[in-house]
Order: sequence, then C-alpha cells, then structure tokens
Amino acid sequence: MALASTPLSPASRLGQIEHADTLALRNSRLAPGDPITVRVARSDGVAKQARFQQFSVPYQKWMRVLDALNWIAEHEATDLAYRWFCGSKMCGSCAVRMNGREVLACWEAVEPDMTIEPLRNLPLVRDLVVDRSPYEKKIASFEPWLERDAVYRGFPEPLSHREMKNASKALDCISCMCCYSACPVVRLGDLTDFAGPAPLVQLGQTALDPRNDQNKVARMLAQSGIFNCVSCYKCEEVCPAAIPIVTHVIEPLKAKAAALVPGMARHAHALRAIVAMRGRVDPGALVLRVQGLGAFKNLPRILRLLVRGKIAPLKTLLMRKTAATAAARRILNRVRP
Amino acid sequence: MKFAYYPGCSARSTCAELNVATHRVAHKLGLELLQLESATCTGARELRAIDPAGFYTLNVRILALAEREGLPLMTICNTCTLNVLDAHAAFVSDAELAQTVNARLAEENLHYSGRTKISHFLWVLHEQIGAKRLRALVTNPLTGLTVAAFYGCHITRPPGRYGFVDSRNNAAIEKLAEILGCRPIDYSGRTECCGFHTAGHDERVAIKLAGQHILAAKAGGAKTMVTPCPLCHTVLDSFQHEIEEDLGQKLDMPVLHLPQLVGLALGLTPEELNIDRHMIPATAIDDYTAAPNQGLA
Repeated sequence: MALASTPLSPASRLGQIEHADTLALRNSRLAPGDPITVRVARSDGVAKQARFQQFSVPYQKWMRVLDALNWIAEHEATDLAYRWFCGSKMCGSCAVRMNGREVLACWEAVEPDMTIEPLRNLPLVRDLVVDRSPYEKKIASFEPWLERDAVYRGFPEPLSHREMKNASKALDCISCMCCYSACPVVRLGDLTDFAGPAPLVQLGQTALDPRNDQNKVARMLAQSGIFNCVSCYKCEEVCPAAIPIVTHVIEPLKAKAAALVPGMARHAHALRAIVAMRGRVDPGALVLRVQGLGAFKNLPRILRLLVRGKIAPLKTLLMRKTAATAAARRILNRVRP
Repeated sequence: MKFAYYPGCSARSTCAELNVATHRVAHKLGLELLQLESATCTGARELRAIDPAGFYTLNVRILALAEREGLPLMTICNTCTLNVLDAHAAFVSDAELAQTVNARLAEENLHYSGRTKISHFLWVLHEQIGAKRLRALVTNPLTGLTVAAFYGCHITRPPGRYGFVDSRNNAAIEKLAEILGCRPIDYSGRTECCGFHTAGHDERVAIKLAGQHILAAKAGGAKTMVTPCPLCHTVLDSFQHEIEEDLGQKLDMPVLHLPQLVGLALGLTPEELNIDRHMIPATAIDDYTAAPNQGLA
C-alpha cells in the first residue's frame, strides 16, 4: 500500500471551493467578452496618496493580469506606469499585488474583480513601479559569488545532488520580489536587521553551496538578521517559482548560522538544550537561558504572569523526570549537531 | 471515536487552560482522548532548523506512539501539527531517513510504518463530529457573539502542505463559529502571523505584528478573538499589556482558545474551561455564559 505523503483531513481545506481557490475553479469564472472590473492604484510615488482608477476590461480567453494592464494602457490610460519584459515568468519584473496578493502579472489569470497595487516594502516610483535598488544593494552586500576555500580541481567537480539540494532550489529565484513584499517582518522596517526572504534566497544560492568558503558564509550570515524570520510561510505562499523558501533556504541557512555563528542562534541552541534535558519546553527555563538576568527587568509583568499561573517557577526549578525526558535525552544527546 | 492526543508543551505550561478545556470539551463531544504522556516536544521551529535528524526522530516517535495504539493523532497546536505533518511527509518520501529514524526508535521497541492519520482539533470537529451533530450538541448558542478568527500560520500555510492558492480562503473557524451561533467578522489579521517564533529572543516583532491584528479585529467589531493555536494565544493574550503600551492605547481584547469557544456553546462554564486563567479577562462572554440551573434563558 502506498503511503500518503499528506495524510490530511479534507477539513483542513474548508473554504477552498466557495472561494474558488483551485486553478480549475479560478479559470472557469469568466467567459470571453465578460467585463472585468479593474481598479489600479495610481500615484506620483507617494503610496499614501495613491488613488484608485477604475476600468472595465473585456475578458479574453486565457487573459492574464498583464493582458488586462496592456489593454488599459492601450485603450484607457496611456500614461499608466508598470513594468514587464519577458511575459513568461523568467525576468521577474512584472510583480504586482492583485487583490492583496503578490502575483506575477504575466503568469496570473485575471479575476472578475481586481484591485491592482504596487509591491510593498520598497520605495514607490510611480503607479505600479517600485524602486528595486534597496534589494539590489542588499544582495551586493552579501557578495553573491563563490569563493572556494579549496583548490579548484577542474571540471566536473565532485558534487552530489544531496549536497546541492538546497542551493539548487534557491537558484530557481527570478528576483521578482513577491516574497519581499509579502514578508511581515520586512514590513516592520528598521525594527530588526532582517534581510528579507528575497535577499536570503539570493544568499542561499552561494551560501548553501558546499564549495563556498565557510568563513565568508559566516561573515555574510552575521549580517543577515536571519533569526528574525517568524516562519510564517508568506514568502512560500506567493513565490511564483514555487521555491520552498522557509524549508529549503531559510532553515538550512539558520542551520549554517547556528553552526558557524553560534552567538546568533542563542535562542535556538537554548531551546534544543532544554528539550534535550527536559523532554519538553519549559518557558521559564527558556527565557532564563536566553535572557539571563535581563528576564527579571520587568517585575510587574512577571507578577502578572505568576498570578494567572502562566509561569510556574517551582516547576522550572524542580524539573520532573518523565518518559518524555528519557526519550529526548537518548535521542538528542547522542550526537551533537 | 478515540484519538491519541498530543497537547504539546505550551498546553502543558503557559497555556495549561487549553489542555483542561480540550479534555472537558472532548468529553462532552464523546471523543475519547488517550494523552501521549511519553511524547516529547516536537522541537518548535528551532530544532528543525538546527538539528534536522533530532527533529525527525522526535516527531516520527510521536507518530509511532500513536501507531502503536492503533489510533489517529489529534493535536491542538498549529506548530506541532505542521511539525508532525512535515516529519511524516519526509519519512514516507525518503527511505534512507525512514530507516535511520526507525533504527533509533527500535531502541525502545517502537516502529513507524507511516500510517498515522494526523488531525488538529479544528478538523476533528468538522470531520469526526460534523456540523449536524455539533449543532445538536449546542445547548448554549452564542447568538450574535462577534468573533475574530485568528488562524495563525502553520494550520493554513505552507501551500505545499495545505494546498491553498491564497491561505486567506481558509474558512474552517468561521464555519465552526457559525455553527456555535457566533457572528464571525472579516478583518485583515485572520491568517496573518502573530510573531511568536522570534519572541524567545526579541519580543518586539511579535508585539508589533500582533498589535496590528488585534487593532484590526477591534475595528471590525469583534468582542473576542479565537485561535486554534496556543502559541498565537500567548502573543495575543499574554503579551497584550506590552502591546497596549506599544500602541499607547487600551485594547482589552479577550482571546479564547478554540476548545473554550466550543465549550461555552456546549454549556460548560468559563470556570470549567479555565477562561479565568487568561491575562485579559473575557468579559465579552459574560452575556453568553450558560446558567444551567435556570434553564436556557
């Protein structure tokens, strides 16, 4: 019997049918000639001052968001600013937000009612055009090339698929910036030093290549802010190249950072140590281990948490050994990563 | 219907009320829960990144414990759910990994063959109980209670696991809330991130992100939020004082665990559901508290 790779209950997809959340359903909503309502954000570069201009576009079979924009630019708004080049999911220049979702205009089917906005988290130039230079500067600062720490032994180099698995996924990136626009941590601006998903995918192309000089990789990871990733998978959801950004790029990069720059990963190492010792996470023990005495700087808060039984200092101090403790100790303490 | 039940670490510490409420509600629903006492942490987000081998072993071990009992697995935490789902997917697609993990598990006479069904409590309600039976079990309909469903991330993303083109289309909690009599509201935070997974080393991201979502829920007219994940609950409820300080305004937004909302509609009292253990008092539900001695008012 073949084993199911996703033994999921249909209840995990409730809402999918009525919201036409499948390719077939989405493509069956319009017939040629049907009017599509398109609202396009127009501005002179100040997102807050953007106004929405509404158009009615006649649907044609297989119509994409880009076709609708082209129709508008030809018939209704010749001054509409938008970018595209290849029209075939290669150049990554036509990304916009359609109904609040980052899409490639050249690869996304139109919807009966569309609001088209520019990408977020980047300076706006005009209408749907954003300034990509902050992203490009970030990538340049990651020195995205290979520096071998061993002598080049000539072609073909001894590399296995397994070794290149993650880097090769990252190499599918077309730099469309959909993920960068969707990332909630990037949206918080300077609050953290998080580089953002797109630059991290670019970093992953070389940092996850085993031939790269590990000292250089460590130097680049140290300026990536990678542990500020909240693991929300918004980037994976919008990636038109279907790169598993969290699983195959950010997590392997975190693993590298944890090994090469352990100071960046204090929290991750602390959590592992606590699970290895206790079997389960004790939040009190985790906070103490990561923050040290700093954990006590907000006493009113600690009292509030104590009153509601949210923290249990006695449990933290008097660790109870259980079957889970024994199992975790055996499994995690054998080989240190 | 019997389940191997995995509460996870949060529901056994910071959110202990969730575990209590789940057991009480399961009893009302006629679900028998066998709590897997020897199960470990699934490793949150950290272990899977820095120690994949340890991550797979701990998670497959949980699936093997359920398989030994011949029972499907029920979870109540989003992150735990995704962890066991991911571990299962890796196990069945990578024979070498499966062999290594089973060799480790053999030391305690455990073995996984890949047959454990995995279900979150939210899905169990829809699938094993079903709308019809649930409706019949509602003795205290929460008529008109405006709730903001807060899904969190790991119960609806990544797309490779759950299959949504747009995770905002998930409607499982709203459909459930309607069965219970509530009026679910639409707001921008429904399937957004609470920021929990960076809060261990820096709370600021979680405070900023969750603040936006609570504000949106409030603006949408929600009397309470409800979440299927204890980690989201921790940020939305336990951090709410800090969020209010950051925003410079009072929010007073109660946040219920999913089983607590169900329990109220099934006639359990807030005390029985340990709702008094939350940081933000759930005053919004006062009008909806069952008064069993006086019949249904």
